[in-house]
Amino acid sequence: MSDATLPSQTSLAGTSSLLQRTTGALCLLLAAVWAIAVVQAPVDRVQGIVQKILYVHPPCAFAAYLGFAMTAFYGALYLWKGDERHDQRARAAAGVGVLFATLLLLTGPLWAKGTWGKWWSWDLRLTLTLLLYLVYVSYLLLRSFTEGSERAARFAAVYGIAGLMVIPLNYFAIDLAGGRSIHPENLERGSLGAGMSLPFWLGVAVAIVAYVHLWLRRTEVEHLRGLLAAREATMAHRDDPGGASWDS
Amino acid sequence: MRAFAAILWKDLLVEWRGRDRLAAMGVFALLVVTVLFFAAPPGPLPSQREHLPGLLWVAVVFASVLGLNRSFALELENDALSALALAPVDRGWVFLGKAMASLVVLLVVQALTSLVFALFFDVDLASVAGRYALVAFLGALGLSSIGTLFAAMAVRTSYREVMLPLLLLPLLLPVVLGAVRATAGLLDGEGLLFEPLQLLLVSDGVYLIISFLGFEYVLDE
Repeated sequence: MSDATLPSQTSLAGTSSLLQRTTGALCLLLAAVWAIAVVQAPVDRVQGIVQKILYVHPPCAFAAYLGFAMTAFYGALYLWKGDERHDQRARAAAGVGVLFATLLLLTGPLWAKGTWGKWWSWDLRLTLTLLLYLVYVSYLLLRSFTEGSERAARFAAVYGIAGLMVIPLNYFAIDLAGGRSIHPENLERGSLGAGMSLPFWLGVAVAIVAYVHLWLRRTEVEHLRGLLAAREATMAHRDDPGGASWDS
Repeated sequence: MRAFAAILWKDLLVEWRGRDRLAAMGVFALLVVTVLFFAAPPGPLPSQREHLPGLLWVAVVFASVLGLNRSFALELENDALSALALAPVDRGWVFLGKAMASLVVLLVVQALTSLVFALFFDVDLASVAGRYALVAFLGALGLSSIGTLFAAMAVRTSYREVMLPLLLLPLLLPVVLGAVRATAGLLDGEGLLFEPLQLLLVSDGVYLIISFLGFEYVLDE
């Protein structure tokens, strides 16, 4: 096998792209403005200081749901086109989505304890989010327990798509089971108090930009891992041309 | 279509000759019912009546996980799974064959469990037998369809037995809740409730489509 087919040395070196640096800088800048806005925002008359979780909690939900939607989207694209890069994007989206969902599920109970007086409620939205979280944690487990990257990619893509398609069914199921809803509805126009909407939407922007930045970086890590695995396979093949590469 | 019939026949024949899957699932379902019964808050039977449909279906779900794992562990011997993947037929039919064989086995287990259930807990299933059979069938259909898809994946992972419930349970909620609600409606004398039935039917349809199409990608040489 000629050296030309090996990934070149430079392609494995640190390659922080312009897009990554831009989103990183933008995220920092937005976060700074957001922090000032959150401090300046008025304290809620009823809930007190705990209400400030508003500027963290729903934005995490936006990023988490974006991550899960992208996992299914790129999974489907991978099954259709068979391009490894789509799989790397799907995998990265699942990882970052789970990160934001973890933040979502950590900040939610803090707020709930402060306002509802209990950490958790089997509310429609809470249960749905928890289930979705479990689906994508299982997605990551499935990936790590499956041998062979191509097989793991296929399995994960099928599971990621199935996970997304079952969301509406789960919604009706929990609704039917009488999951009493105490979680506030989606914010409608004008439902935020005076001086609260700027830090809220800044928070959403920070979460989305942070998501995109982490996703880009994660995708690159997955890409480099793929290159490394390919290189190792080639090396193993060179050392032992007879076997090794057969069942990998 | 012939592949479907051949696989269904083969699986049922293997099951009939060994009857090991059936025995394991049946005993397991009874064990789950017994353990869950004593785990429930103590009290006279009528006060526990509202938990009974849930109890019954939890036992069925756990038993089905056991059976589905076995259904594909069987194919690993002599690498029969690769042969199935190489067969020059649409893999959707292979899926249907495997799923329907699991469905038949699960239905037998369900029939036995329900019978014992009715005796143990003094539940009058006989008067609603026909409608209960419909609910049981729809629940089992959902379980075996998406369960077969995920079992085909789980069997190829390094933690076979662990992986299937992890994949299956979060996605199974619509079918389980639909079946539990429908069964509860029957036992409470409310008749066949429309909403749970609708949920069961829609979930079964979605699961069948996902699994039929997805199976193409989970079988490999």
